[in-house]
Amino acid sequence: MEIEFQRVGKKYDSGQEALSQVSFHLRQGEMAFLTGHSGAGKSTLMKLMMMIERQTSGQILVDGVDLRTLSRRAIPYHRRRVGVVFQNHQLLFDRSVFHNVALPLQVSGTDPEQTAKRVRAALDKVGLLGKEKYNPMALSGGEQQRIGIARAVVNKPQLLLADEPTGNLDPKLSAEIMNLFQEFNNVGVTVLVASHDLALVARMRHRVLTLNQGRMVNDGGFA
Amino acid sequence: MPQKNARRGATRQSVKATKHRWSKRSSFSLKHYLRQHQSTLTESFMRLLNYPLASVMTVMVIAIALTLPGSLYVLLKNVQSITNNWDKQSAITLYLFPQVDDTQALALSHRLSSRPDVASVDYISKEEGLRDFERWSGYTQLLSSLQGNPLPIVLKVIPKMVVSEQTLPALETLREQLAAQGEVQNAVLDAQWLERLANILSFGQRLAYALSILLIVAVLLIVGNTIRMAVESRRDEVLVMKLVGATDSYIRRPFLYMGLWFGILGGFFASLCILILSWWVSVPAEHLIELYGSHFKLQTFNADEIVLCLTISAFVGVSGAWIAVNRHIANIEL
Repeated sequence: MEIEFQRVGKKYDSGQEALSQVSFHLRQGEMAFLTGHSGAGKSTLMKLMMMIERQTSGQILVDGVDLRTLSRRAIPYHRRRVGVVFQNHQLLFDRSVFHNVALPLQVSGTDPEQTAKRVRAALDKVGLLGKEKYNPMALSGGEQQRIGIARAVVNKPQLLLADEPTGNLDPKLSAEIMNLFQEFNNVGVTVLVASHDLALVARMRHRVLTLNQGRMVNDGGFA
Repeated sequence: MPQKNARRGATRQSVKATKHRWSKRSSFSLKHYLRQHQSTLTESFMRLLNYPLASVMTVMVIAIALTLPGSLYVLLKNVQSITNNWDKQSAITLYLFPQVDDTQALALSHRLSSRPDVASVDYISKEEGLRDFERWSGYTQLLSSLQGNPLPIVLKVIPKMVVSEQTLPALETLREQLAAQGEVQNAVLDAQWLERLANILSFGQRLAYALSILLIVAVLLIVGNTIRMAVESRRDEVLVMKLVGATDSYIRRPFLYMGLWFGILGGFFASLCILILSWWVSVPAEHLIELYGSHFKLQTFNADEIVLCLTISAFVGVSGAWIAVNRHIANIEL
């Protein structure tokens, strides 16, 4: 999936300007990092890509399609093409690991046999195949984060977004998670990871986009 | 130039995107769709069982709210069936002017009895009238002190039509025609009891309608409130589902089924309450009617009416859920 931001701005009703004049181009199959202090606009940028929020100026093109032209009804179909991982996991603790990961497939109406096959494949990928029947609550923070990643990739998205995926994990687990993203990128998925762990980001040797108070201050070089 | 290129690219890509969507649609199977609905139906029922006390209370409130207009309906149905079975002869009483004498009155009586819509005419002379009055009132002494007979000649016209709600307007026209005769001072249709009854019935009907509407609105609010709490308690789930691309209709579905269950169960228990109530009052009611010398079997909710009650309550349940879900799902955003 190809993403292009053209002078995108987001101003909240409160008058706070979260993003202003942000432009960048993420090519098909590219992997990049998004850094910046907290409150710099990383999450807002991700939300705009997910169409959780809408920009107030500029345009966002996804595979050449202006997101502003998509109607409310088209939003779910857009989201099915994007996998997203959050710092706070967003897992549901009233169901098993299997059913958490199966959610995107159930929502898009995949039949049960296909769902089971793909959920196991995704869990295998993140190394949790043996724990599909567990409740996520019973697993460690790192494992919970990997459930979130399995859920994000189970639908074979064309774009993977991760907002602080290593936020409260130790360095070893963080590196493991980053390697997982690298593996998805290796098979052609466009990946954008927001992180303030500059040391980790530097080690990955990918393009780095830096936001400062809503403005893109660095694009391209390593951090 | 670059803008132009971008636009061309956009068109090409949006076609691709649409195709992509269509290919998703083509993998859509009716069997799977129905299976999904069926599993949502059972899942939403299981969810009611997860909160048995709250669910039972909601269902019982709905049942009571529906029992009230339902039993009023049954009551009206019975009153109507009783009155329909009363085939009463009515009479139009003609009070003639005092100066009309016996010959003129007899001529009028003959003229009227030859009308096709009149069955018979009773001739009540002044003397006969006075005798009747003395007999019924018991004021013999008072009347004997009167000079002369103050009573007019009275003709009692029995129409061929039986009196009922349907024939009442026709009888009223007949009364007007008779009142228009020159000898007639006053014509009274002896069917006012029927008019009164009809008024009471239509009053009861309106009361039933108003009560039904109010209580159906109450059911809407009850279901709406319960569903609102259900949405609130599943906020995280709704949020995640939105995030992974659930359509609004997919998110709505389990809550609509929950409303459907509340409606159906409420309607079922309301029907049960009405059946029990009418069985309970049937013995004294039938006894009472028999005292008036007529046979009477209390009518209760029949199968059609139970189906109607369930349909209405199911519809109201789903509508209440629909309103609540639409209002609250939109508010759940990341």
